[in-house]
Amino acid sequence: MTKNTEDTTSEYHVASFVAYPLLAQLDEVKQAITDVEGSEIHATSEEGKIVFTIEGNSYRDIGTKMDIIRVHKGIINLSPVYHQILDESTGDDVAPL
Amino acid sequence: MTINRREFIKANAIAAAAAVAGVSVPAIASNLITSSDITKLKWDKAPCRFCGTGCSVNVGVMDGKVVATHGDIKSPVNKGLNCVKGYFLSKIMYGKDRLTTPLLRMTNGKYDKEGEFAPVSWDQAFNVMAEKAKDTLKKDGPEALGMFGSGQWTVQEGYAAVKLMKAGFRTNNIDPNARHCMASAVGGFMRTFGIDEPMGCYDDLEAADAFVLWGSNMAEMHPILWTRLTDRRLSSPHVKVAVLSTFEHRSFDLADNGMIFTPQTDLAILNYIANYIIKTDRVNKDFVSKHTNFRLGETDIGYGLRPEHPLEQAAKNNGKTAGSSTPIDFDEYAKFVSTYTVEYVSKLSGVPEHKLEALAELYADPKIKVTSFWTMGFNQHTRGVWANNLVYNIHLLTGKISTPGNSPFSLTGQPSACGTAREVGTFSHRLPADMVVNNPKHRAIAEKIWDLPEGTVPPKPGYHAALQNRMLKDGKLNFYWVQCNNNMQAAANINEEGYPGYRNPKNFIIVSDPYPTVTAQAADLILPTAMWVEKEGVYGNAERRTQSWYQMVEAPTGAKSDLWQLVEFSKRFKVEDVWPEELIAKKPEVRGKTLYDVLYKDSSVGKFSIDEVPEDRLNDDARDFGFYIQKGLFEEYATFGRGHAHDLAPYDTYHKERGLRWPVVNGKETKWRFKEGSDPYVKSGSGWDFYGHKDGRARIFALPYEPAAESPDEEYDLWLSTGRVLEHWHSGSMTQRVPELYKAMPDALVYMHPDDAKKRGMRRGDLVKLISRRGEVQTRVETRGRNKPPIGLVFMPWFDASRLVNKVTLDATDPLSKQTDFKKCAIKIVKV
Amino acid sequence: MKNLNLASIAGLMAIVLSPVFTSFTVTAADKAEINTVATLRDHTKINTQKEPNPIPKVVNKDIKKARNYPMQPPVIPHTIRSYEVNRYNNKCMSCHSRQRTEKSQAPMVSVTHFMNRDGNFLAEISPRRYFCNQCHVTQLDTKPLVENTFTDMHSLMKQKTANTKEH
Repeated sequence: MTKNTEDTTSEYHVASFVAYPLLAQLDEVKQAITDVEGSEIHATSEEGKIVFTIEGNSYRDIGTKMDIIRVHKGIINLSPVYHQILDESTGDDVAPL
Repeated sequence: MTINRREFIKANAIAAAAAVAGVSVPAIASNLITSSDITKLKWDKAPCRFCGTGCSVNVGVMDGKVVATHGDIKSPVNKGLNCVKGYFLSKIMYGKDRLTTPLLRMTNGKYDKEGEFAPVSWDQAFNVMAEKAKDTLKKDGPEALGMFGSGQWTVQEGYAAVKLMKAGFRTNNIDPNARHCMASAVGGFMRTFGIDEPMGCYDDLEAADAFVLWGSNMAEMHPILWTRLTDRRLSSPHVKVAVLSTFEHRSFDLADNGMIFTPQTDLAILNYIANYIIKTDRVNKDFVSKHTNFRLGETDIGYGLRPEHPLEQAAKNNGKTAGSSTPIDFDEYAKFVSTYTVEYVSKLSGVPEHKLEALAELYADPKIKVTSFWTMGFNQHTRGVWANNLVYNIHLLTGKISTPGNSPFSLTGQPSACGTAREVGTFSHRLPADMVVNNPKHRAIAEKIWDLPEGTVPPKPGYHAALQNRMLKDGKLNFYWVQCNNNMQAAANINEEGYPGYRNPKNFIIVSDPYPTVTAQAADLILPTAMWVEKEGVYGNAERRTQSWYQMVEAPTGAKSDLWQLVEFSKRFKVEDVWPEELIAKKPEVRGKTLYDVLYKDSSVGKFSIDEVPEDRLNDDARDFGFYIQKGLFEEYATFGRGHAHDLAPYDTYHKERGLRWPVVNGKETKWRFKEGSDPYVKSGSGWDFYGHKDGRARIFALPYEPAAESPDEEYDLWLSTGRVLEHWHSGSMTQRVPELYKAMPDALVYMHPDDAKKRGMRRGDLVKLISRRGEVQTRVETRGRNKPPIGLVFMPWFDASRLVNKVTLDATDPLSKQTDFKKCAIKIVKV
Repeated sequence: MKNLNLASIAGLMAIVLSPVFTSFTVTAADKAEINTVATLRDHTKINTQKEPNPIPKVVNKDIKKARNYPMQPPVIPHTIRSYEVNRYNNKCMSCHSRQRTEKSQAPMVSVTHFMNRDGNFLAEISPRRYFCNQCHVTQLDTKPLVENTFTDMHSLMKQKTANTKEH
């Protein structure tokens, strides 16, 4: 059921992630995340797991931003957790995943 | 608006990721709705509302509504799991047709048996009820009053009802729907062990090397126990599973040895196994000689039908002696079972000889720890008590009992069939803690605890479930209150007995239910009822585990708990209204008091202050009566069993624990009864002690195979078995109102063998009529569903209010337990 | 339905929150409805019976349904006719097991399914979760007899945030 849609500006996307960084590079990773437009860190666990969100206006937008973070050398693993789209042209919400 | 919605879904996203990472999001960082009271979800534990497994669930409440439920990870029963019904518990209270006002049949503003239901106030409802009850008492005495209760009542509700009926109104005509469900198991326990309820516990599931299911479809009816059994079977390759039934069902998916037998021949198979154990010289002689003795039971005991029925006319011993027995020795017993050879039993039952032998070997091999499970296949049986006795025989002959994994285990149908129906004793012949009304010593104990004059409790057992419907029809039972069950849908032969009984112009029928059920539809007065976590209560599950819960949400305005209804109604009666002068004279201080004063408020029930209810807890019932009524009822009830092998912990303990298995002695629960070292009541040095009988020995019964009450013939050429399904709880009054469960299993179909369908010119989906000598029901044919009956037998579940299969069934009962056999009657099927 | 196929973990953690934006005003059933008490019997008298509907078809659209709350087991959005799940085979796992989801693009079973009774993770699906149909059920194409007024917690939260922020 995966379907790619055209970029559209009437959509609001939000996705959340858990990043597992090398502890030694925690601060660098956090910086890299916050450097990406539309991203925000919400919590960091004692073991260094970072909970953050990316907001954007299309699948591609979210995907591009995610890739910037994912390739950072300090990240061991990046788990996408949640993604939801608000179609603001119709006012209808689209169910997540 | 858009911003709000964005914030909202963003908060969801954060919450989801935080949960994965296992971190809590600091309020300041989330700065969204996660940071405020708005997201506050209050979690609390409660036992599941459905079956006798007794899973614990966590209930999430927000703004006075249940918004989520999930399996309680801390519960030893289910360890975080639920079945599909359990996962949808959150929705059972929210069917749009919840009843919120009493409804009385009226014409021109007055009660009329033939009138239409119209809303009345609680005051009006109780006025009419009290008037009808008093009229009935005056005209026909207490024996014309009756109540049909439930294994889904809380312990406190059942206890309050027993007290009101047996001591207040002085009638023993109170019976629970557990009569349809567990009565044969009770009869089996009392006869073999002299004390009720399983000796083992669910821990047997992780200890056994073999499981045998006797007429139990655990995969659908006890799904969480089935997950434990599956876990054991699949993680330990040496473990074997044998499944016996009259048709193939989901539990066969795990069976190493699946056996379909001709209805009723389970009795012969059980005797064959005993014979096999003896013939192969695997009797545990030491155990048998120390801990058992042998009895020859009465035979030809009839079928619990009306006395004028030809089968009762033909039966020799269907009177008071039906349950009697005489002592015999081992050799006589061995001779008795010797006729049950593999050849004979294979022919009789239709089970191949090698399968019977493989089954018998599981029991006979001293190295294999065997747990037997059974439910309605044994209990809903005109020889149900016998079937229970016979399975105990084979566990006793081999000494495979009361040790981990060696367990003859009777599974319970309802969430508190054990706790409320059996332990409290809401049966027509019983009192709390296994005592009975026809024993003067037992009555005296009850009267002493209740602080009532000698002679208050009547000695004659009351009408049991099937008899209540017959007496309603005959006009002998005229004031009848049904709580917490749906007997117009559940009882057998409603066409000839139940429906004419409820609609008999002489009778006034009250039905308490959260929803309009088929039974409510047949009533004269319907009382809207609070359910589950809308009240505080205690349930007792199949492994003797007692579990409590707090009230978590308010009931819809107008709906009241069964407990409130019973106790509030008792205020309408002065002692003089119900007791004869000579009884009052024995205790003159009760003069002028109400039943509410005497039975509840001024008794030990009333001694716990409202201040003991935690301040932050809802408890509408206690606050309404002004004392902690649930605690008072529980503690008074518990005095019956403490020191008598039924010990319960203090009430407050249960609010902290995920349940405890009684007897709870010195704060410690009991896993295996009757075994030294695990049961504090066992005499030291005895090894095993079956202390329910004075001689400390369990009984092994010689009982034969006898045919079913009704078997197929040329005209009515098929066996009909009814039963339950995974997705619905009993009659579906709760689960049919949950859209996901409804859509998973909307209609009761008739499951038949494709050849049986073909022979009658039928195909899947065809509209057909099931016809018996008593009535008919229409449904559609299913030839490829989850149940695969053999040729000659069909299965139709009874959850469907729109297709009442009990118009067709036969109200034959076990003459000993009075439990109806819902698994066997003769029908024919024709195309419509 | 728009859907970005983020790693399967998402659908599986049983924490995917599904806002359902439906009206949730809880109104007591109106009086007329109460008077006809046979709500599950299509208002039919006990001693009669309406003609049973044909057997409905299993919904087979393969479109995920929103959950009522995060811990609810998802319903099965496709037919499972002649799926074998027994001692030898588990047909469901031929698409939903971890190893198969890349090929099948079906959601992987939740990670909770790898935990044993004691909460420890196993390499494979825990045997206690083996029989999928104990929790996951298909849906038939039929309309519920009675509406359910259950409120989604997120509708409640949403309403409250709207209330607090709009004035």
